[in-house]
Amino acid sequence: MYNFLPWYIAGPLIGLIVPLLLLLREKQFGISSSYRFIGSKFFKKIDYFNYKSGADKWQFQFAIGVVLAGIFSLYAGVIQVDAVANNSTKYSEIANTIYASSNILYFFIGGIFVGFGSRYANGCTAGHCIMGVSQFSVSSFVATICFFIGGLFASYVLIPLFFKI
Amino acid sequence: MKLVITLLLGFCFGSLLIATQAYSWFRIQEMFHFDSFHMYGVLFSAIITASICLILIKKFKIKTISGQPVILNPKKLEWKANIIGGILFGIGWGLTGACSAPLYILVGMHYKIGISLFLGAMTGVLLFGLVDKKLPK
Repeated sequence: MYNFLPWYIAGPLIGLIVPLLLLLREKQFGISSSYRFIGSKFFKKIDYFNYKSGADKWQFQFAIGVVLAGIFSLYAGVIQVDAVANNSTKYSEIANTIYASSNILYFFIGGIFVGFGSRYANGCTAGHCIMGVSQFSVSSFVATICFFIGGLFASYVLIPLFFKI
Repeated sequence: MKLVITLLLGFCFGSLLIATQAYSWFRIQEMFHFDSFHMYGVLFSAIITASICLILIKKFKIKTISGQPVILNPKKLEWKANIIGGILFGIGWGLTGACSAPLYILVGMHYKIGISLFLGAMTGVLLFGLVDKKLPK
């Protein structure tokens, strides 16, 4: 039995968000522009944030919906999923305690890469991997391949260094 | 009404990522170590579904809710930005197991980790804003 939604159900449903956003909200799927929108509320003096942020407001609202899903999951009793470490790999042991408070700095530093990289590459997994690749955009293919190169480097080189495994 | 639709779609998106564990650090490590097809299945089937929908929308000229034709603006190719930015983002994704949507999930689910991750991302975006014009694109 699965205690999580199998990919062949979850994947297509996630894919359906793309046409639903286009038809119901006339927006292209993406979420990392919400960072720039939030930045525009605080760092107006920096050129990059001094833009017509109204166009990205919906992404902030979309992101709030995602946060609410995270909160809801705590009360819906679906969270036995953090500890999915059921195989005996090096990373599965780390996975069991990865969200412990002692890793706050680790996540802060990782977050810097996520924020900087997603804005530099002009998109993240949602905007490039799913939205961009599904419309066969070359920039999104390039970005997606590079996401994986970076991810492999982090998984095989940086994480073993950091956690000494 | 628009707000409700946006929030609801975000909520559905987040709930699907949670239900299929795509937000999980473990799942992302498993993906980068090629130990399971799960995450690849999620990504590929999402892309294929979205792609088919986009083709159908184009073929049948399906209009949006307000009767407008659907206009797609593909992201423009910026080789250097896509490559360097992509690798940096990938490093963040690999380290934290969270791309942008799972980041917001963690804000709700594990708020201490989530908020520090979010503040990290905002720091990254702020740094990017400061050097934006000097970076190769």
